[in-house]
Amino acid sequence: MSYRPALNLARVFFKMFMRDRQAIFFSLFFPVIFLGVLGFVNGGDSDPVEVSIANHSNSTLAQKFVDNLAANPAFDVVQGDEPTLKSQLLDGEGTMVLVIPENFQDTDQITELVVFVDASQVRLLGLIMPTVEKALVEIERDLRNTEPMFRIKVEDVQARSQRYIDFLLPGILAFTLMQISIAGSGFNIVEYRRKGILKRLFVTPIRPRDFIAAICIARLSWCLIQLTFLLLAALFVLDVLVLGSFVELYLIIVLGTIIFLCIGFCVGSLAKTQQSVGAIGNVVIFPQVFVSGVFFPIQSMPEWLQPVAQALPLSFVVDCMRGVANEGLSLLQMVPDVIGVLVWLALSFAIATKLFVWKEVVK
Amino acid sequence: MSMIEVRELVKCYPLAETPTETFRAVDGINLTIERGEIFGILGPNGAGKTTTLEMIEGLVDIDAGEVFVDGLDVRVDPYVVKKIIGVHLQENEYFDYLSLKELLELFGGLYESKGPGPLELLELVDLSEKANAKPPNLSGGQQQRFSIACALVNTPTVLFLDEPTTGLDPQAKHNLWALVRRLNSEGMTIVLTTHNMDEAEELCHRIAIMDHGRIAAQGQPTELIFEHAPEPGETPKHGTLEDVFLALTGHGLRD
Repeated sequence: MSYRPALNLARVFFKMFMRDRQAIFFSLFFPVIFLGVLGFVNGGDSDPVEVSIANHSNSTLAQKFVDNLAANPAFDVVQGDEPTLKSQLLDGEGTMVLVIPENFQDTDQITELVVFVDASQVRLLGLIMPTVEKALVEIERDLRNTEPMFRIKVEDVQARSQRYIDFLLPGILAFTLMQISIAGSGFNIVEYRRKGILKRLFVTPIRPRDFIAAICIARLSWCLIQLTFLLLAALFVLDVLVLGSFVELYLIIVLGTIIFLCIGFCVGSLAKTQQSVGAIGNVVIFPQVFVSGVFFPIQSMPEWLQPVAQALPLSFVVDCMRGVANEGLSLLQMVPDVIGVLVWLALSFAIATKLFVWKEVVK
Repeated sequence: MSMIEVRELVKCYPLAETPTETFRAVDGINLTIERGEIFGILGPNGAGKTTTLEMIEGLVDIDAGEVFVDGLDVRVDPYVVKKIIGVHLQENEYFDYLSLKELLELFGGLYESKGPGPLELLELVDLSEKANAKPPNLSGGQQQRFSIACALVNTPTVLFLDEPTTGLDPQAKHNLWALVRRLNSEGMTIVLTTHNMDEAEELCHRIAIMDHGRIAAQGQPTELIFEHAPEPGETPKHGTLEDVFLALTGHGLRD
């Protein structure tokens, strides 16, 4: 057989994707923005807690205490006079008001610091109070000239720091490739059918499998370009860590893309209209987004859901990509997941070619 | 051997209201189309013309009967048949973002053997200056001509035209007839469907009139006029093909 027709068609599809500026904009920039926003919101340090301080003392010690708190990145210290701060607190601004009494200098007796809190913010107290107490202890040690007896040093047993964004990147890559692939093939096929283009194609000698191959080749190349762009942005702009081999990462990307392209063809073959392709597509996409460990590990899900979640195609793809990117594993060390990917590949390809009966599709 | 042999061809579709029952869209028809002929299939809407063509083209499954194109059994070798036929469909939409030239390159690329180039084809259908235009920006006549150009990318032995002049103004219609005649004079067998009587009378060497999935009459237009058209009163001159058509298929409206 000759591959000329399929390759020709693939080249034309690729040309068409390149001319669809709007789709390029959304498919390239949307995932980057997505990764950026999610990475910063969840990955960076949590928002500093706003602490209002009414300082009635003008001692250097009181100032030192305030500076000590302000130096802690967990706090955002605001100073002001007591009545204003209290009324602001009543209005729901700020979390707490710490009142430093005039006699803060006096070291002979216990100095009482009063904290006004908004009851609705009370859960933050557990976070704030230890730090406030620690700041006070440090000042006390300073004044009494004593050294601390203990110091805790936290060391990561993995001996490298991993942020949420590092965990997130493989998930977002897998999520993006699923979106592009399912929407790309499923949506296209319904549109081509509606316009009568499929019928026009199938009066020529092109075979359905060559047509599927052509869209797959074009979408796959397109998907690789988009994911490379996303990966580069993650590596150089967001400073994300990829430990394993890029060759293996791309191998999984290619296999994953083919799986979801085939699933997209199934959706496109089942759907009769443009609206239903969106609806059926969502039925396939959404459960996977939430339970396949894109944003959170599958282990954090309810016990009964885990076996189901683990069996989804996106789960295997995400697991493989995460293994390579986060843990630096080679694919040979993840045989069960790789087998999962291959099984889905065979399964989706078989179902897609079975469902894609062009004699029904051309109607 | 004839170019196209159709024997006892049947196509059943489930009824919309009662899907368990079927109706026969094409009900056991026989056709013989000779090489180098322009053959017209006439009939009211829903007579089964398009279904018949699409079975011959290998687009629609054949429920019963046989179709041979150039001696090839369509059920056995659909892909070989598709290599030697050219098809103009009623629908005329194409991929977005591609110009006429690029679309012709695309369709040409779907065949393993190389046919005429896009510019040559565009010149043939008088669309050279539109090479970089997109199909939606063409007039009705230009779109039909472009669709025929697409059907010619593989220099087919048989060309199928499904209602090629529907919706065209008289100028565009005559222009298209001239194109069809030119292609036919070069030896191409042409099969077209129409419900335009002038077209059939003017263009076709032989015609078949279809109704309710059956062939009501088959022959040369003049023969049919002699046989079926009622004599218009005292005038010795016979009627038109339109009279034949109405005499055979009745006067009721079809949708």
